[in-house]
Amino acid sequence: MSVLTKQPPGASAPAPTTDGKPRIRPSRRKKQRSGYLFLLPWFLGMLFTVIPFFASLYLAFTDYNLFTEPNFVGLANFQAMFEDPRLLQSLKVTFIYTFVSVPISLAVALLVALVLNRGLQGLSIYRSVYYLPSLLGGSVAIVMLWRYIFGNDGIVNGFLGLFGIQGPAWVTDPQFSLSTLIVLNVWTFGSPMVIFLAGLRQVPGMYYEAASIDGASKWRQFRSITLPLISPIIFFNLIMQLIGSFQTFTQGYVMSGGTGGPADSTLFYNLYLYQKGFTEFEMGYASAMAWLLLMIIAIFTAINFIASKFWVFYDN
Amino acid sequence: MKKTASTPIPRRTVLGAAVVAAGLALSACGGGGAAQSGSGGNVELNFVFWGDANRAKMTEAALRIFEKKNPGITVKTEYQDSGPYADKLATRFAGGNPPDVLAMANRSLLEYAQRGTLADLKSFPELNLDKVPETTLSRGEVDGKLYGLATGVTTIGMVVNKTITDQAGVTIPDDKTWSWEDYARFATEVTQKTGGKVYGAGYDVATETGPIILARQRGEDFYTKDNKLGVSEKTIEDWFQYSVDLRKAGGYPPAGFFEQIGGSPAQSYLAKGTVASQIIPINNFRGYNEAVEGEVVLLRIPGETTGERRGYSADPTMLWSIAAKSKHPKEAAKLVDFLTNDTEGAAEVLTQRGVPINPEVADAITPKLSADDKTFVDMMAAIQEDELPAAYVYPKGASVVADTLKQLTTEVEFGRVSPADAAKTFMEKSNAAINK
Repeated sequence: MSVLTKQPPGASAPAPTTDGKPRIRPSRRKKQRSGYLFLLPWFLGMLFTVIPFFASLYLAFTDYNLFTEPNFVGLANFQAMFEDPRLLQSLKVTFIYTFVSVPISLAVALLVALVLNRGLQGLSIYRSVYYLPSLLGGSVAIVMLWRYIFGNDGIVNGFLGLFGIQGPAWVTDPQFSLSTLIVLNVWTFGSPMVIFLAGLRQVPGMYYEAASIDGASKWRQFRSITLPLISPIIFFNLIMQLIGSFQTFTQGYVMSGGTGGPADSTLFYNLYLYQKGFTEFEMGYASAMAWLLLMIIAIFTAINFIASKFWVFYDN
Repeated sequence: MKKTASTPIPRRTVLGAAVVAAGLALSACGGGGAAQSGSGGNVELNFVFWGDANRAKMTEAALRIFEKKNPGITVKTEYQDSGPYADKLATRFAGGNPPDVLAMANRSLLEYAQRGTLADLKSFPELNLDKVPETTLSRGEVDGKLYGLATGVTTIGMVVNKTITDQAGVTIPDDKTWSWEDYARFATEVTQKTGGKVYGAGYDVATETGPIILARQRGEDFYTKDNKLGVSEKTIEDWFQYSVDLRKAGGYPPAGFFEQIGGSPAQSYLAKGTVASQIIPINNFRGYNEAVEGEVVLLRIPGETTGERRGYSADPTMLWSIAAKSKHPKEAAKLVDFLTNDTEGAAEVLTQRGVPINPEVADAITPKLSADDKTFVDMMAAIQEDELPAAYVYPKGASVVADTLKQLTTEVEFGRVSPADAAKTFMEKSNAAINK
């Protein structure tokens, strides 16, 4: 954006026009125009977000069934949600998934970033290797692969078998199916890790030098220097991971073949939303669900922002 | 701005990112745009179905004949597995861009029809229904309107890997008279005599065709004439209890054993050789016999002579429907007529989608059938020699019933819910879905 505001030295005083008002110089206007031109694809893209956004807000208050004209039903969809046991189940699944996998994957991401930040040889290779899963984790192929790894005759149970342990049915037993997906999510710690790594690199080395002269242990340095200085990064990662995992869909869909099974144990909120909208054709209800999810995410994000005042340190 | 240690990501950026990320979810829920398919002089029909590559190949061959007989009409097909197919179909209808001719599952027919999305097939003079038996027509009818026409008829049957049972020295009971108890004893014996390497029974508890036939054997209609749920709670409980008991006895695999059900014959547990018997739609018999190493025999479902009445019925394998919004309804009706009444076309698809519903067509293709397909057709004919009780179209809500059954089956499988409680929940949820 600085392009638009910065002016070349000497041009700071616009030439007065005949009516005495400062005139925007043609070159500047041209620059603005090209700026907007470059933004155009984004604006067009936004239309595809904004229109459905408001459409879903309207549909949330209707009985829209995809095929016939929607009728306004007021808050009926929201009332129905309170009496929907599967909705509660889907919230339960999503909350467990989020509150277990987000802290673990952040901790793992930070740990790996710390190790990589010690100046290993071939850092870029390691970084890519650890980053790769997060590019693939949400993909259908990886979830399929996960099914096989954790399948009854998969690698995991084969490995346990070496020690004479009969592994459970990781995928088909409702007791274990969600944990299998949590492990998958933790495994995709790559993107927060790369951001952590970038943050760690920006912590000035002089702080550590000063601290070690004062005789601070590594742990102490980590706690008193590293953590506070990268706390904005932790905060950023926390928020992004939280939102991402509230919106989990692919993993649940592929793992269960779209059912959220076994026995609704992987019925993520968004998967249930999809089922309501596209297999039961209750698009009004599904839209209302989408808005409930937005509210839930907004509340959790707000809580985090309030809480951040007590632990996020902005060093400027 | 004094720069000490930089703050890589300011607060405001986090908030902005959060808003964008959260907003994306909402926009996933909006309407879609309709695409216009151009047709310059030539009419192009969009024809969709579910199935595998083999089915698609046979279908394409028939369609080329249709195009030759109907100059000016070209048919563009799309096909997927049944799961993705159902999802995609719903989205296309919702987006206002439905296919012209489509394959419909029994359980979805009225979901679509009662929302006004399908055309009444009786309204097309192009479609000749004279040869189609009334009992078959009734399976796609509601309120006197025909929304789906059977692609063919089939039913379910038990396939047994005879090579395995022979090696184990287990005799297969006479399927004309066997009871459910006979089947349980047989399955348990197979597991015992193979030393637990092969489970005697591997039928799918979660597919509704099983309890439908059990209900009929007991004099109940799973789905009644007036489109309600007619099965009793006791029958559902017994259906669950039967699998629990069979598992306890060893005849049925332990909980969690089945990871993927409903795939192709080659992916089946029968083909893997880990189970000795399975319930299948019998038009797929050939596929199973080809996929399984060894000899597969096709048997009737147990309990046909030991219950109150016969459970069997000749059911639509799937149904052909025409979208109400089709831009070329006449041509679409011509295609459905071709698929139903044309002998040459039928000679290409044979019994892929069941025994042809036009008896003349069925007779004409019989000499062309392979031995396995002949077995299927013969069994279909033998079953219909006896008088079978009437069967009815699946009501609206039937797909929720199917999902509910699937979910409860898992609950029962892992002992989280008793068969009695599962049956109670099944009745509640199913009735709620159907009566909505």
